Amino acid sequence: MSDQDRIASGIPVDPHAGPAPLVLAPIAIATAWNVQGDPTRAPFSDEVENLFGVRVPTVANTTVRGGTLLALWLGPRSWLLVHAAGAEASSSLMDFEAKRDALNAHGGALFDVSASRVAFTIRGAHAATVLAKNCPLDFHLRAFPVGGCAQSLFGHVNALFYRPEASSFTMMVARSFTRDAWDTLRASAAQYGGDVAPPP
Amino acid sequence: MTQPHRLPEGGIIDRTRALRFEFDGVQHEGYAGDTLASALLANGVHLVGRSFKYHRPRGIFSAGAEEPNALVQLSPASGARTEPNVKATMQALYDGLIAASQNCWPSVHFDVGAINNVMSCLMPAGFYYKTFMWPPTPKWWLKYEHVIRHAAGMGRAALAPDPDHYEHQYAHCDVLVVGGGLTGLAAAHTAAKAGARVILCDESAAWGGGVGDIGATIDDRPVDRWIADTVRDCARFDDITLLPRTTAFGYYDGNLVGAIERVTDHLSEPPAHTPRQRLWKIRAKSVVLASGAIERGIAYANNDLPGTMLAGAARTYARRYGVRPGTRAVVFTNNDSAYLTALDLHDAGVAIAAVIDARPASQLTRGLHQHARASGLAILPDSAIIGARGGRRVASVDVATLAGGRSTRVDCDLVCVSGGWNPAVHLFSQARGKLRYDEPLATFVPDISPLPILPAGAANGCFDPTAAVMEGRAAGAAAIPGAGMMASPHHSPRTNGVDGTALQPLWAVPATRRTAKRFVDLQNDVTVDDIALAAREGYVSVEHLKRYTTLGMGTDQGKTSNIIGLALMAEQLDLPIPKVGTTTFRPPYTPVTLGAFPGHETAAHVEPTRYSAMHDWHQEHGARFVNAGLWKRPHSYPRPGETEDDAANREARNVRTHVGLVDVSTLGKIELQGRDVAELLNRVYINKWDTLALGRCRYGVMLRDDGLVMDDGTTSRLSATHYLMTTTTVNAVRVMQQLEYLLQAEWRNLDVYATSVTEQWAAAALSGPKAREVLAKVMDIDVSNGAFPFLAVATCHVRTAQGLVPARAFRMSYSGELAYEIHVPADHGRAMWEAIIKAGDDAGIMPYGTEAMSTLRIEKGHVVIGPEADGRTTADDLGMGKLVNPAKWCIGKPLLARPALTAPDRWQLVGLTALDGARMPRAAKIVANPDHALPNPMLGHVTSWCYSPNLDAWIALALLANGRARHGEVLWALSPLANVRVRVKVGPPCFIDPEGARLRV
Repeated sequence: MSDQDRIASGIPVDPHAGPAPLVLAPIAIATAWNVQGDPTRAPFSDEVENLFGVRVPTVANTTVRGGTLLALWLGPRSWLLVHAAGAEASSSLMDFEAKRDALNAHGGALFDVSASRVAFTIRGAHAATVLAKNCPLDFHLRAFPVGGCAQSLFGHVNALFYRPEASSFTMMVARSFTRDAWDTLRASAAQYGGDVAPPP
Repeated sequence: MTQPHRLPEGGIIDRTRALRFEFDGVQHEGYAGDTLASALLANGVHLVGRSFKYHRPRGIFSAGAEEPNALVQLSPASGARTEPNVKATMQALYDGLIAASQNCWPSVHFDVGAINNVMSCLMPAGFYYKTFMWPPTPKWWLKYEHVIRHAAGMGRAALAPDPDHYEHQYAHCDVLVVGGGLTGLAAAHTAAKAGARVILCDESAAWGGGVGDIGATIDDRPVDRWIADTVRDCARFDDITLLPRTTAFGYYDGNLVGAIERVTDHLSEPPAHTPRQRLWKIRAKSVVLASGAIERGIAYANNDLPGTMLAGAARTYARRYGVRPGTRAVVFTNNDSAYLTALDLHDAGVAIAAVIDARPASQLTRGLHQHARASGLAILPDSAIIGARGGRRVASVDVATLAGGRSTRVDCDLVCVSGGWNPAVHLFSQARGKLRYDEPLATFVPDISPLPILPAGAANGCFDPTAAVMEGRAAGAAAIPGAGMMASPHHSPRTNGVDGTALQPLWAVPATRRTAKRFVDLQNDVTVDDIALAAREGYVSVEHLKRYTTLGMGTDQGKTSNIIGLALMAEQLDLPIPKVGTTTFRPPYTPVTLGAFPGHETAAHVEPTRYSAMHDWHQEHGARFVNAGLWKRPHSYPRPGETEDDAANREARNVRTHVGLVDVSTLGKIELQGRDVAELLNRVYINKWDTLALGRCRYGVMLRDDGLVMDDGTTSRLSATHYLMTTTTVNAVRVMQQLEYLLQAEWRNLDVYATSVTEQWAAAALSGPKAREVLAKVMDIDVSNGAFPFLAVATCHVRTAQGLVPARAFRMSYSGELAYEIHVPADHGRAMWEAIIKAGDDAGIMPYGTEAMSTLRIEKGHVVIGPEADGRTTADDLGMGKLVNPAKWCIGKPLLARPALTAPDRWQLVGLTALDGARMPRAAKIVANPDHALPNPMLGHVTSWCYSPNLDAWIALALLANGRARHGEVLWALSPLANVRVRVKVGPPCFIDPEGARLRV
């Protein structure tokens, strides 16, 4: 589609729209643990690294990847460790109770929230545009770089966004809101056609 | 279908694509690129509607968003998609478009309502206020209003649900350029070229903007070529978004600009799934306002006849649309810009009968005037139109010198008027920008704004195309982040008109006949005399003038009339125009379809809905649902032939006799970890927590700071340092917020971390005398009374069809029966539920809903946040005073000693039983004597009530003054609204098993 055609069609010009068609699909989360603690205290941050093999990010809205484990910044003292289903099982996310006790002993906390959220992938052309129909965040690459994460609203619903690639996003919403978020996502994406998976 | 008034060539229309359309039942043809107005004019149709008050014939007056007259009903026969008040000047033509005129019956050519015009002397300004004040009761106004609404009105709203959908789009940019004319294009191009993120929007479908640039040469190129080149160059930048058909309608806090994009309004058949309109919420670091200018008319007698048009509009129709808007034209002006119209119309083959200029001949000596004379146009200096004649189209005008004297009649079918140009300062003013009255332009122009909004071009009072492009470039450069956001980077000299001859203000031509109407506001039929009347009646404020005369109201908000109106007001009050000032420019700039504001958030999506992990099972098993906050919870599971009440009674009875299972996933669940959790619990609950053993849970009550009950729930100890707190469904978020606040702000030294796990765990409560035998079949732990006593907690597994599922089991009871709660990760919620239902088959298990749950808890006197703990009750009022630990501090405790909270006549929780076989009235008040004279002293009120199938009686919980001392008394429950009175017996708030023996078996 030429620039003029895009302009004439009424479809917003999305500078980051890749050539790939839009894909929306649920992603299964195998494990999601919420780590909390004070990262400026060495016993805590050392123990986190010891247990999970990553140092949690201390810069707001950034992530750190360690193998198949992804650590997302949720707050100055709170992170989400995620391990997607299907990927090779990560030994670092086993034996919850022992790790919880270890962190509790080092001034931190570990909560199992694996079933709390449902994740979607939104990737391909117009992925950022579709999200921006329902979310006031700035999804421009300069404001939301690859590897970044942020929490905001998607429609009515609290959502956590992560950007694995320039034209790909992961959105996580609380599971009881899944249908609501999915309906909003599909309604916003339908005009761009593409590959829309059945609802979860 | 010949388009007799279409010029043989020229314009931005596509003559290879003919489009058919229908107006007032007549078939016409236009071309792609036409607006409805230009297509109507090409077919010689000027009369398009009747006016609001006097039902006078009206024609197309402008070529843009300022149109006061040409409002049409689009798709009048379509029940759902019909739309009133569509501006014919803004509606893009599409094949098959159908439109009809408004405000007329039976037709636009013969309108019965025109009797108002004859009777107009009876309907002065403020007619409604003066006439319908009597009799002074609202009843009569409602009757009058009914008739008035029928007589007036602005088209018909669609009655069927809107079949289209609308959406929102958030956007962020460095520079938002409002207006895609020369100035806006230059600004956007400059900013984008410097690497800024740019959004450029324009209300029309085509770039290039208003009439000011026609025929100009920019950068040594013809202007049309320059526009095409610049648009193409702009579209190549990575970070620019071009939004045609998009009106920036409002400027809000934080540089948020609202814009409405008409995505499919120009298409015969909207593509599937495409929204009809898109509401943009644009966060701009800075805004370049290149919104152009709007021409104004001059008030003279019968200046509203069809065939009367703004001079710039006539030129636009001739040059942009290739339409001849008349055959013999008179041009009436007080400034130079209309000479361009005269010359262009002349070129287009329109006979120019006269150019009537209010300025003296001594000023009309520049090149443009010479050019006009050389082209054979007759210029009448120092003159004005004193009146127009005609019926449904102007036929002639009477012209006289401004000094007076005899008038001359000039035949014409088109009058082109220009009283000057008003910069479109609407968004600037909304951005708290101050306006300045500019004498040479005789209008208000932007002065200073505290916000980063840069007016440029015609919006800034700069009307020369070359200078406007320079202003646009300067504004685009200044708006880039880091450029320091200079004050508005003008100024080329502000002159109105091509040759720099000053405008001579002329607002209204003096009347020669008292009855002739000189219109200021065409849409609302406000005349010069109405403004004079308002001034005579003492109106001083321009805001009052607006409300009294309706000047500047309606869909056009006075875009062509406001300045004239306030100038005339200034004349009447003998004040300078800046002293009178303008009315407030409020959003929206032009009307926005209401459907665009909710966007997708309509119907089932007005608010979000939460579903538990077992929702589908409930649905498959006939559950009726009830809204509990945002959650859908099963109310009951009626079987064939049962009412919901029957079902709830059956379910409640079955829990007491056998066993039932209820979904309690919606309860708030908060996990707490750290060395100091017990200390935190001590501080937030009224009771003591350091003694809670591992593997045990305890009931607790939280108070607000003022000592009144906030929430209740249980907390369990899962490990030495790991606890699980439950809250009520309604307070889940509030309690979590409170804990986070306390831990992050008040008690940072406590080693406690909290997270909400409401979504993590699906939960079910298994209740009834047979609960243990059912549970034993599915759990992998010993659940005997010895191994798993009342208030025990275990981490264990449930055997399900999915295999062993990790679980938490709690022996606690809300129903008063032997009961357990089972929590599993939500992914396994349905499997757990189905496993328990299957295991309970032999025991007679039934699922039960919130209604049975409520009956069971009323029978046991368990309070609920809301009905009993209503924000006015203390723990003692609710019978839980003994829980308050005297040896420790907790939130709310210091204020419990307030005299009002310990008074002897406080309302206390009691149980009521209806006597005489009566039904307990809902929301009843409790009195001693039902026949007491009003007001009958109120002793308390019923908080929760139900039919108890286990007692076969109507029972209730109530708050009753000094209630604990009244057990055994017989009082009355009254419901004056329902006119019901019932004798009730007061007793303790527990109707079944007051010793709690059933809990501990």
